Amino acid sequence: MQKRYIFLAILFIAMASGLLFLPDMKEKSQIPVDVFLNDIHSNNRHLTSDEIAKRIINGDPMVFLVDVRTVEEYDNYSLPGSINIPLKDILLDDWAGYLDQDIVDVIFYSNDDILSEQAWALCKQLGFKNLYVLDGGLNTWFETIMLPKEPGELASTAAFDLFSFRTGASIYFGSGSTAVAVEAKPVKKKTIPVKKKAKREAEGGC
Amino acid sequence: MGPLTFNDIISTEWNYVIALLIGLAFGYILEASGFSSSRKLVGVFYGYDFVVIRVFITAVSVAMITLLYLDYLGFLDFSMLYVVPTYINAQVVGSIIMGIGFLMGGFCPGTSLTAVAIGKIDGMVFTGGIWLGIFGFSEAYPYIEDFNNSGYLGNVTIMDYFGINAYTFAFGFAVFAIIAFTVASKIRKNIKEIQY
Repeated sequence: MQKRYIFLAILFIAMASGLLFLPDMKEKSQIPVDVFLNDIHSNNRHLTSDEIAKRIINGDPMVFLVDVRTVEEYDNYSLPGSINIPLKDILLDDWAGYLDQDIVDVIFYSNDDILSEQAWALCKQLGFKNLYVLDGGLNTWFETIMLPKEPGELASTAAFDLFSFRTGASIYFGSGSTAVAVEAKPVKKKTIPVKKKAKREAEGGC
Repeated sequence: MGPLTFNDIISTEWNYVIALLIGLAFGYILEASGFSSSRKLVGVFYGYDFVVIRVFITAVSVAMITLLYLDYLGFLDFSMLYVVPTYINAQVVGSIIMGIGFLMGGFCPGTSLTAVAIGKIDGMVFTGGIWLGIFGFSEAYPYIEDFNNSGYLGNVTIMDYFGINAYTFAFGFAVFAIIAFTVASKIRKNIKEIQY
């Protein structure tokens, strides 16, 4: 047998047996730090209350709302269809089946967005997918959806459309608000007269 | 870091370019090492040439050991690699058909194309047969669909299925490879050299 084959065979076995003596790998469940930082700085985890309300009203089956407040607060008020996972329990294995999946969109909410952002960070670090946060939490939810403010008279059509959607949503979510949606008033177009410049006479020429 | 394509280190466009280059290199090396000769390929069945076994076992075990080291060192996420789903019944029957075809025709699909590339008529006939087979399979698919999808085990590897540690398995495979190479070269020595 040729020498180089023997050498290669020994090298091969040495590499393979090296695998047997590798020290145990450390827990690899966390996503790389740079990816995590990137995700923190990008804002696409935030869903506005309007987006979420629209999806709930449309019966979007992908919406999976998670209330990360305490049990008492959850019993007091919660969004329809949400489940309660208090922040301190969020890493328990019991919930992994709900949170570690790639089918539905998990949307965390709390009173503001401090607890929900923490829940987001804890789960994100473990590499869970489709995690979102209700922007501004329930406080914003109440300000916008449940008790919408009527826009001023000079507001744009879009603002009136949004208001009428929110009024409808508040009835849907049962706030009892019966304020009637206001039609947007057409705004008169102002015309600014433009003075035409007098043509200059051609000077000289060839 | 890896797999390079999933983590956008290599963009989709370059992915295709690189795939083309690797494909060209693969074809060139197959042809350069004599794999476009059906006599060399079937030699393993008749016991006069074991280059096929040597090449494929080397490729498998080198790739396996390298991937495990890269995964351990954190350069590659092993769990992101694609594992072909297992349909055990269909695959057993399929490999028997493939084996018979290999033995009769003297090519596997890749090497038949390298044979076509250097203008071998048997390679062209074989490639025509492959197309015929593909056509026949597609036409008969409604009748064999149930069988085709039976015995589904999921995207499992041998390590997952039998619960063997990947490192132990890789070492065992390396030992098996060395034994296979030694036995093959012993047999090769004892028989007359065949010229082709």
